[in-house]
Amino acid sequence: MKKLLFCAALCLVVPFLFVTTVQAWSPEKDISVIVAYKAGSGTDTGARLLMQYARKYVGQTLVINNLPGGDGKIGWTELARSKPDGYTIGFINLPSFTTLSLMPKSLFTVKSIEPIANHLTETCVVVVKADSPWKTLQELVDACKAKSTYRCSTNGNKASNHIAAQLFARSANFSYKAIPYGGTADQLLALRQGEVQFSCAKVADIAKLATGAAPELRVLGVFAKNRLPEFPDVPTLGEAGYYKEWYGSARALVAPAGTPKEIIAFYEEAFKKAMEDPDCVAIHQKGNLNMDYMNSQALADLIQKQLLFSKDVEESLFKK
Amino acid sequence: MTDTILLAAAGFLHALHPLNLLAMLMATIVGIVIGCLPGLSAAMGVALLLPITFGMDPATGLIVLAGVYCGAIFGGSISAILVHTPGTPASAATAIDGYELTLQGKAAKALTVACVASFFGGLLSCISLYCFSPLLAQLAMKFKSPEYFWLSLFGLTIIAGVSSKSMLKGLMSGVLGLLLSTVGMDPMEGVPRFTFDFSILDSGINTTCALIGLFSMSQVLILAEKAIVKRSRPVDFKDKIGLSRKEMKRLSPHIVRSWIIGNIVGILPGAGASIACFMGYNEAKRFSKHKEEFGKGSIEGVAGSEAANNAVTGGSLIPTLTLGIPGESVTAVLMGGLIIQGLQPGPELFTTYAGMTYTFFAGFVLIQFCMLAVGLFGARGFAQIGRLSDAILIPSIFILCVVGSYAIHNNLEEVVIMLLFGLLGWLAHKFDLNTAAIVLGLILGPIGEKGLRRSLLLNDGDPSILFSTPLCWMLIGLCIFGLLSPLLMNRMERRMREVNTTTDEAPAKNA
Repeated sequence: MKKLLFCAALCLVVPFLFVTTVQAWSPEKDISVIVAYKAGSGTDTGARLLMQYARKYVGQTLVINNLPGGDGKIGWTELARSKPDGYTIGFINLPSFTTLSLMPKSLFTVKSIEPIANHLTETCVVVVKADSPWKTLQELVDACKAKSTYRCSTNGNKASNHIAAQLFARSANFSYKAIPYGGTADQLLALRQGEVQFSCAKVADIAKLATGAAPELRVLGVFAKNRLPEFPDVPTLGEAGYYKEWYGSARALVAPAGTPKEIIAFYEEAFKKAMEDPDCVAIHQKGNLNMDYMNSQALADLIQKQLLFSKDVEESLFKK
Repeated sequence: MTDTILLAAAGFLHALHPLNLLAMLMATIVGIVIGCLPGLSAAMGVALLLPITFGMDPATGLIVLAGVYCGAIFGGSISAILVHTPGTPASAATAIDGYELTLQGKAAKALTVACVASFFGGLLSCISLYCFSPLLAQLAMKFKSPEYFWLSLFGLTIIAGVSSKSMLKGLMSGVLGLLLSTVGMDPMEGVPRFTFDFSILDSGINTTCALIGLFSMSQVLILAEKAIVKRSRPVDFKDKIGLSRKEMKRLSPHIVRSWIIGNIVGILPGAGASIACFMGYNEAKRFSKHKEEFGKGSIEGVAGSEAANNAVTGGSLIPTLTLGIPGESVTAVLMGGLIIQGLQPGPELFTTYAGMTYTFFAGFVLIQFCMLAVGLFGARGFAQIGRLSDAILIPSIFILCVVGSYAIHNNLEEVVIMLLFGLLGWLAHKFDLNTAAIVLGLILGPIGEKGLRRSLLLNDGDPSILFSTPLCWMLIGLCIFGLLSPLLMNRMERRMREVNTTTDEAPAKNA
């Protein structure tokens, strides 16, 4: 009798075991999401917004783990070192991630991570103060060619917005003076105060200042192949004959290298659904965040492209 | 204008959220406990609680810190009155008459006066917080790179001078802080310097770790060094808590006067509650109709001192929130809390983050009511807590320091930094250096460095840009004032102490 019961139990349990291993993976405990910037920063805010909605589709709580420091280095090193069991994932910022991965003593490379999906992309733009005499890119370039002492505020030496300014200046063949401000907020404040004459920044950061009844800033051009829907009247840099490629930053979800395929597939699907959730879309719009879902393959391509950009372009960009 | 009133009203609605009310109540109680324990200062209490606020909503977090601040400043008066040992230096003047009253069996009366005076001092200080901070924040919009350079220099000169016994040692402490502030990423070039390849130092020394180390951990070492002594038993008191209308009428002019004094002292960077209490006490004596009672148990003296030191709290928040120049050690810690939340002091606090700021202001007002209630009903209980043995205190603070510094980034290396700064704080205490000045150097250093180097970069290395605007000249004037102020302040404080030498003087401890 006992044996029979045992067999019956086995018959009941075994198919389940079988099914669960074959069927798609799903998490059974809280998931740690590494954000390499401090709580309240732009990256963190975006991550928290998405995680709030992703919970429904992932089925477990996604706990943000802020590991700031070294401009992302500390968090990304930790992410690369984490166990690839699907319970640790993280956000990377492009191109900062690829740039740092090429540093001599870097403890991670692009091979240390497995792409899941892209979350946000933000395009860079060229801005001036609303009362600036320059109404078009051409006027700015002409003025800078005539006099090389015009100043551009950046968010740090060789930081993302400095790269943008440099791309613009190289392609338009003018020189200027880059003044580092260490952060986007301070960089834009300097522009508003008139301490510098122009600046390059990401759309989300300037959207509020450049729109509305009495905008403080004027957008002259965008670093994209097509015009931005938010600023349909603003030409791309390519249209004006300057830098033709897209430049901006992307924030994407990745897992440590070695994470099994079915786990990646699970997250890819879950985050896709989360990003299509109407409430999630609405809250991103409200926060001026440009959601741009890419699947793991498209993201892998983007990372490769950014790696090449970091390798070839950034290096030569700052050579005198 | 109507906008501001609406924002202020909305702030009150948010602050009245049950969670905020609970936070206020708890924070005020913790503050009073820390305040009435001699040896534990307000700055150390706030530094200790700082890590707890990381996970909170910014407004709630700041309310907690402000609650501890206000509570501690009031709490100091409890031990000053009952055991003649001011819990914090800010209550040194309260001990003079407060303890006399206790000896006469009027301890409850003295405590009531201290509590009511503290309440009104704190409450009235909110007026200037509401009125002046948006204005000053507007002015901050006009501050460009050269102005920030002078501003940080002003903050350094005044703190280095005023808050130490010796100006030379004060300046030395400030410079030490400045040196430490150069560790980390070079703000202009973006390359690491003085990091010795420790990646933890890449983004500079974490100010919060440094604060916890310098203010809290060092206190553990200082306390542990001494033999553990049993604190004297507070005098039993049986008289009733409460004030008659006549007494209230007698105290009110002193409270108003001390409020004005405390507020001005608070707004001035560098001059803190410990100076304000003596000034308030002294002026109360000068204008009193019962001068003969002073030193022999005058409720007016207690009120004058306590209203002044609590009026400092609101005032000192103004330069901290608007210009990012903390006037004293407590507000330096508070600013650390602000920055951790991703908020930068300045005009944005009154535009983008106005909701948060006004909730905090409203919380600050409500904290005063908490303080009044807790103070009046709990005085007897706190009197007993004041006797808590160091054998319990030392390990508890130590644990809180370690947990707190670990909690910032879940990083053990930062605990090591905290411990090193604890050691530094202890050494600073040994050599009479000033920990507050070290912290200010650490905070103001980067502001000044960026201001200077950016100005020079903007103007092709020509320093004339530093003297180019009227605002620059104004700040230069303030810097000179800052350098001279120690002479003035010393003279003033000495005179006040001399006036009070008729009674035996309360031992003022190092902030």
